Amino acid sequence: MSLIWKRILIVAAGALFVFLVFFFLIRFTPNPPVDEMAYARKALSKAATNKADTYSKKLYKEARGYYESAMTTWKIENERFLYFRDYSKVVKLAMQAARTANNAADSSALSSTSLKTTLSRKISGLNEVSDNLDKWFTAYPLSTETRNRIAKGKMLLEEAKIIYRNGKYIDADKKLTESEYLLSTSYEKASESLKSYFRSYPEWRRWAEKTITNSRDSGSYSIIVDKFSRKLFVYLNGSKKAEYSAELGRNWVGDKIHRGDKATPEGMYRITKKFDSRDTKYYKALLLDYPNDEDTAKFRAAIAKGILPRSAKIGGMIEIHGNGGKGVDWTEGCIALTDQEMDLLFRIARVGTPVTIVGSLQDLQHVMKR
Amino acid sequence: MKNKVLMGLAAIAMVAVLSSCGKKPQAEIDATNAAIAAAQAAEANVYVPAEFTALQDSMNAINAAVTAQESKLFKKFGPIKEQLAKTLTLANTTATNAAAKKEEVKKDAETLLNDIKAVIEENGKLITKAPRGKEGAAVIEQIKADMATVTTAVADAQASFDKGTYMDADTKIKAAKAKADGINAELKEAIAKVKGRR
Repeated sequence: MSLIWKRILIVAAGALFVFLVFFFLIRFTPNPPVDEMAYARKALSKAATNKADTYSKKLYKEARGYYESAMTTWKIENERFLYFRDYSKVVKLAMQAARTANNAADSSALSSTSLKTTLSRKISGLNEVSDNLDKWFTAYPLSTETRNRIAKGKMLLEEAKIIYRNGKYIDADKKLTESEYLLSTSYEKASESLKSYFRSYPEWRRWAEKTITNSRDSGSYSIIVDKFSRKLFVYLNGSKKAEYSAELGRNWVGDKIHRGDKATPEGMYRITKKFDSRDTKYYKALLLDYPNDEDTAKFRAAIAKGILPRSAKIGGMIEIHGNGGKGVDWTEGCIALTDQEMDLLFRIARVGTPVTIVGSLQDLQHVMKR
Repeated sequence: MKNKVLMGLAAIAMVAVLSSCGKKPQAEIDATNAAIAAAQAAEANVYVPAEFTALQDSMNAINAAVTAQESKLFKKFGPIKEQLAKTLTLANTTATNAAAKKEEVKKDAETLLNDIKAVIEENGKLITKAPRGKEGAAVIEQIKADMATVTTAVADAQASFDKGTYMDADTKIKAAKAKADGINAELKEAIAKVKGRR
């Protein structure tokens, strides 16, 4: 064999060797887990879209942990010689990441949907509580503290609605919880006060019936004032003849106890004096015999029990008078009518005409339904 | 013998050249990561969360692609470089969009803050005209309590605004504005009724 053929053979063998080296390098190199990692990333992205970082925090964090571990393991494997790389652990971690992320995505979707529904119900419920507070207690004397709590509760409800519309349900839930606490406790407190006030209803009913019966039996005029509806009714022969809007003392809920409490008394009274415009600054006035014996007894008992200080005075000069129509409970405890209605009442009222003042002529159930 | 050695060396050199022809684009990766950090600093996660999530997804995919190339004998970073360039642009756009959105929310909150201050002032004047509502003093008490709550909410919103948390300020001020407008309407209606009666 000539030298040239020998050289050709050596070059061909070398080329074959190089080819075989490359062939084995490519053929037997382990495949990097590209697809598995892409699958895990897709699952994580879906979980993020479903806000799993908010609604399924633990699972999402776990899934991210698996993914990070997969990446780290992959990089460590890449440091090894080509043939000695083993990506099976990376694949396992990637699949764990994908599974956990999918679970997080599903759980998050479920949680957010369920929370959305719960919050929607909660908002409706609180809207109802807020409406009821407006309906029943706007005109009801509540403490400044309760009024502030109601105002704050309504403001938080408003904020919660905006946050809810922005899809941030967890933040909305926090605001709603605060709002619910303030509105519900205020509502319960106000309801309790109202219920407690209406415990006197049977007595009010008795007084009113007695007044109407007296009017029927005597064939004369009687007056009944319903504080809750702010109405003054005129009866003749036991039948209602007129109905006027009345304005009361600022703290109209409850009986008058002492001077300066700005409460309108409750009880059965009579007119003791009539003042025309020359004798009163309130257009015309009908003076009542407040305090009667019962009022005096209540006042003394309050002093004896220490509810009132010894220096307290019982008060008096409770009248039905004019200058009303302000649309506000403004008196010191009197009952104010418009001047026109005062004229009508002044004409028919006599000294001795019964005037019964009650909390309400209707029971609490009827009042609430009104 | 000399030729055999030369052949072997040539083969090794060929393998070395082929296996290292692609170099990890570290500078581009660093630049893109810096741009993403800048987008985060611009509160992209708060003002444009969807865009920011997409940006993070894109970077995660790049990191995986880089690692995938590092697993290979013949590395090819060309397409990754293109992807990095796109992601860099996306990061810059996201930062710009976040800044724009932040400015928009800031302006909205600022406008609302000015508007509500005017409404509060007007409500303060209206309440002294004492229309007081049909139901009496208690209504005035409730309105006053509502007004005080609105004032507190505005102060809270202003504090959030001054801190630069405009989204929070915007939410608070929107709720307060709705309440203040409600009070304003209630007072105006009551005044109109009283005027009508006269």
